Amino acid sequence: MAGNFFAAVGASVLNLCAEVGGILTLLFRVLICLLPPRFDLDETWRNLHKMGVRSVPIIVLTAFFTGGIMVIQAAVFVKKFGATSLVGWGAGYAVFREIGPMLLGLMFSGRVGSNNTAELGTMVVTEQIDGLRALSIDPVRYLIVPRVLSMIVMLFLLTILGDVVAIVGAALFGTVLADVSLASFWVSFSQNVHVADVTHGLIKAAVFGFIVALTSCHFGITVKGGAVGVGRAVNNAVVAAALGIVLSDYLLTYALP
Amino acid sequence: MIHCDGLCLQLTHRPVLADVTWHIEAGSVWGIIGPPASGKSVLAKTLCGLFTPRQGRLIVDGVDLPGLPEPDRVRVRRKMGMLFQNNALFDFLRVLENVAFPLARQNPKMPQDELVARAQERLRAVGLSGSEEKWPSELSGGMKKRVGIARATICNAPVLIYDEPTAGLDPVTTSKIYDLLTGLRQKHASTVIAISSDIPALRHFVDHILFLHQGRIRYCGPESGLEACEDPVVYQFVRGQTEGPL
Repeated sequence: MAGNFFAAVGASVLNLCAEVGGILTLLFRVLICLLPPRFDLDETWRNLHKMGVRSVPIIVLTAFFTGGIMVIQAAVFVKKFGATSLVGWGAGYAVFREIGPMLLGLMFSGRVGSNNTAELGTMVVTEQIDGLRALSIDPVRYLIVPRVLSMIVMLFLLTILGDVVAIVGAALFGTVLADVSLASFWVSFSQNVHVADVTHGLIKAAVFGFIVALTSCHFGITVKGGAVGVGRAVNNAVVAAALGIVLSDYLLTYALP
Repeated sequence: MIHCDGLCLQLTHRPVLADVTWHIEAGSVWGIIGPPASGKSVLAKTLCGLFTPRQGRLIVDGVDLPGLPEPDRVRVRRKMGMLFQNNALFDFLRVLENVAFPLARQNPKMPQDELVARAQERLRAVGLSGSEEKWPSELSGGMKKRVGIARATICNAPVLIYDEPTAGLDPVTTSKIYDLLTGLRQKHASTVIAISSDIPALRHFVDHILFLHQGRIRYCGPESGLEACEDPVVYQFVRGQTEGPL
């Protein structure tokens, strides 16, 4: 009984080490391709469009209601204590530093990361990766590096867009639900929110993009088995990305000013 | 052209190829047959350098392939064209782009017009004119095979490997594909290795047969000598008998 328990724990630890090692190996291979830059520009452009432009509607929707939710939660206390001058600052500070990058990162992982894992996994299963190698094309250089770059750049840019939309959402919901005028919201926001709050969140966004990219590519390219393997890889990639986002958020919140 | 001496390969701690010794002369046409999971596709991929054998020597056109690091395998792989079992057509490229892809990669400076013309000519040869703008997902099984053949042969590589070129196809399409492969082979005098489970059709196409069972060679010789082989596994497999070691 105890032997089985320790065997299971040992197997899980070994499995975890293998996955972390695989991700680090992939990171190393990506860095080699970037120093100096040697990757496919057409493929990068295609991924920037697919991962970024097509994510705009869902990101805008998520961000708008995220800003709104911040105000809805605060509205009760704003009315109770008459703290209307704090609404703009509260919404801006929370959205820029924490809620914006975190929620958008998780949303991005669900939409883009899972899609990326499924796509790469299917390419493995249908021998497309072998096909590339048979044509002397390095799959890391041709497929992985463009995806990693696209995800970092696009989550960064989408977070800028999401921040703006979330603040607009917060201002509108504040006007309707908490009787905070737009002018009052703007004064509170512009006087108390600093550039450092914005850069703090954007650095987090870039790191989250990197984490989503590495985990989704790793689990995609190491798929084993058929459709079941692809499903399992997508599941693992989303869980690993979510864990990576939460852990790195914790560390970055401490480390960044 | 290709020399394998005592090739051994393991995948996930399981031996897949065991002591494979095989010599392929330039211009010859070989068929690889054997029961499922006997290592046929793995052997084909090993010849392309997609798997590195644990033991043994693999010399392709005078070059020791396993001894080369991955980036240096380019010059050997350029001498080969391969049709994969699942066709391996790139989902993100249209039919014309799929066919032109190897040519564009090998000749980055080739003008776009010439690339398109060469790809269209090859699509015409496989009877797929008019399908240039289709996506792989819009094609039938037979059409995918033919696009895969067009892509494998567009560079006129001296060695062509076809993994299950007629799997899942009806007899008429099978005959058409073998006619096509025969035409291509006669035109370019290439060395051909074909893997197939359709033994009668394959035997019409090849000069020599390699029979693999559990990663080991059970027969290696002229196609005409297969019937006389006394190995019980080969005997049962070739005759399709239910009684025997398989």
